Amino acid sequence: MNFLRALLHIAGIFLTAYILTAEVAQAAGAHNKRQKIAQFLDTENHTNNWAVLVCTSRFWFNYRHIANTLSMYRTVKRMGIPDSHIILMLADDMACNPRNCYPATVFDHPQKTTDLYGDNVEVDYRGYEVTVENFIRLLTGRVEAQTPRNKRLLSDDKSNVFIYMTGHGGEDFLKFQDAEEVNSYDIADAMQQMWEKKRYREILFMIDTCQANTMYSKFYSPNVLSIGSSDKGENSYSYFYDHDIGVSVIDRFTYYNLDFFESVDMSSRHTMADLIGTYNTSLIHSNPGVRTDLYARELQKTYLTDFFGAVQEVELTAEPFPIGLKQATG
Amino acid sequence: MHRERQVAVFSILLLLLVGLPLWWTTTRVYRADLPADKVNHFVPENALEIPLIFYIDTEHLLSTEKARKKSQSSHSAVNYAPEYALTLTLLNEDPVNGAVVDWDIEQAVDVYLKPFVDKISSLTKLSLSSQVLHHAGPPPVVPLRANNQSYLTPEMLPHFVNSPSWNFASIDPISPMLNFILFVPALASQPMHIADEKGDTQGTEAFLVSQWGGVAIANLPDTTRPGDKVKLSQANMQKYIGYYISQLRRLIGIRNGTPLSTHNSHTHKSTISRIDTHLATETGISDWEFDALLRQWLIHNRRTAITTLQSLVRLVNSLQNMVVMDEIKAQVDKSLDALYKAEQALTDVLTSNSSRFHHCYQDAFESAAAAAALAEAAFFDPSMVSMLYFPDQHKYAIYMPFFLPVAIPVLAAIKRIISERRRNSAIVADANAADHVAKKSN
Repeated sequence: MNFLRALLHIAGIFLTAYILTAEVAQAAGAHNKRQKIAQFLDTENHTNNWAVLVCTSRFWFNYRHIANTLSMYRTVKRMGIPDSHIILMLADDMACNPRNCYPATVFDHPQKTTDLYGDNVEVDYRGYEVTVENFIRLLTGRVEAQTPRNKRLLSDDKSNVFIYMTGHGGEDFLKFQDAEEVNSYDIADAMQQMWEKKRYREILFMIDTCQANTMYSKFYSPNVLSIGSSDKGENSYSYFYDHDIGVSVIDRFTYYNLDFFESVDMSSRHTMADLIGTYNTSLIHSNPGVRTDLYARELQKTYLTDFFGAVQEVELTAEPFPIGLKQATG
Repeated sequence: MHRERQVAVFSILLLLLVGLPLWWTTTRVYRADLPADKVNHFVPENALEIPLIFYIDTEHLLSTEKARKKSQSSHSAVNYAPEYALTLTLLNEDPVNGAVVDWDIEQAVDVYLKPFVDKISSLTKLSLSSQVLHHAGPPPVVPLRANNQSYLTPEMLPHFVNSPSWNFASIDPISPMLNFILFVPALASQPMHIADEKGDTQGTEAFLVSQWGGVAIANLPDTTRPGDKVKLSQANMQKYIGYYISQLRRLIGIRNGTPLSTHNSHTHKSTISRIDTHLATETGISDWEFDALLRQWLIHNRRTAITTLQSLVRLVNSLQNMVVMDEIKAQVDKSLDALYKAEQALTDVLTSNSSRFHHCYQDAFESAAAAAALAEAAFFDPSMVSMLYFPDQHKYAIYMPFFLPVAIPVLAAIKRIISERRRNSAIVADANAADHVAKKSN
């Protein structure tokens, strides 16, 4: 009996259990200090934002598509999505194009107030890396083992993903660099694979191309909100022909989106409904489409910052863990 | 002449007869048969029945209980990974108008962080790296300045770490990153505190960013002058590493709390006072916290493995054009084996004695982790991507140029053969009829 007793004492105060709900009886003072910062954002089950920005065109006369994408890049960055969470796919052949009379710059407005190609532009897929295959691999996560981190979409079930695409397209397809095309079915299947593997919580899909609304017509995965620039059979139009550069510098649909975003910052309470409410066919020259049947939340309650902002949730660390300190027994 | 034409046409038709099945089989997408039944046999439960054994400092073993554990995932916690890349970064805002700061990071890590890393190494690998960024520049938020002190308000904290000039990049391509920042403000912003909207300081200079890492602010002594060289010693670092351990515990999902405090039974209550709830100051994680973490991740990995396999089976069924290689099937089989092994280890716990059951838990954990890793490897295999959608009109567009030029003369020849046959038989019939008439007239 004594032996058993001794054994149990050696086992001592050793405990295995798994009902861990109550707070530990830590130093009493810790509790008053503990304060969780109330978030002004609705971040329930949503802790990070990702942006995938794709320009599928190359060559000089498609200057505006690169400008579209870089403008969008600048906006999501300004709204607080860190570069590590932005995947930028860009032919990137404009800034240093011999026909560019303003070398090393890209502008989206003839007034040339903002150089989109200024500091800290991180292009993740460049030039001929912008292919349908790489795009689908990126979304589905089926990249080669040696792919670096900046070329991976490391999102999870708490991520809201913004996908923006621009280029030349038609009914149910979008051309990639005049060499191949991605089909609306392919994107729909890729999204379904993302959903199956919990690679997103919500997706905002925005596309600016001719007959753009056909591109999201085949989607079938839940929690996807889609916006396109033009109906089936309609063209999307460019804006601002720049006589110095000699090409159009932005597309109308993207321009009017960005125009709205300029009034929005990290702490904005504007909703998707506000954004969509500003779409004006007489200005855009095509009929933008919005598809909400797959989307669970109301647009009036979907804040722009849910997709565009940095939503990092923060909590104060009340006190350092007493590592390496001798503790009084008792 | 007719004979030659017939030979030509029939040889082409024969070729088609042999060629079509050959073409069909060679262009068919290879799809290994996944063990769908076995996969769907598992239920990805949120709770598992894992026997629970209390060891209490009393004369008898108190109870061997079965209880249900819901794997609650904390909001700030990262998902389980077999490896995390921990980066410790010293950010010195301005070494020109401030101090030149360095830290004894190696010694501090060896003494304060290594015991934690070693303790949980059987569950996950924490690979450590550190860096110093001089001239880091100001944070992207502007702290308030009052009473010779700087204040960060709650709204600033979420944006604090998003400076484009702070490089926290890791060379590790996939392991989740956990960043721990020691920020040394410029002398002009010292001392820096965290305050609420009213300006009341919160008594701490550290905060955690969900799923990202932690930040601690290092205020230097008042006497520091521009150009001074300051070295944060191992002793100075104890506090900061202490913050990081608090944050790391939250980030990987260790919850503070005694396991028994919710039990209402009298026996339990009376024993709570005798249970050691002290924090494990040597390692940063006590035995029961370790055990709870093991269970939490065991359930998580088992569920991940099952849901991933089931997703894979569903996906392969729904996308009939998707190639499924034998390697994928092999990985799925191995994952299933590991799942069976985990189940077996968990049932063994019930029958094993006290010295063995730890071993069984560890086995179950390792099998579940392996099952999850294999299932994910199968799901994310690069070969699983094919350009899936191939519309029919594209098929016509591809085959038409090949077959139309051949098909037209062949079809024309067939038509001619048939019509010549008809004419021939008509001539023969006419001739017969003529014979008949001739005979009659004779």
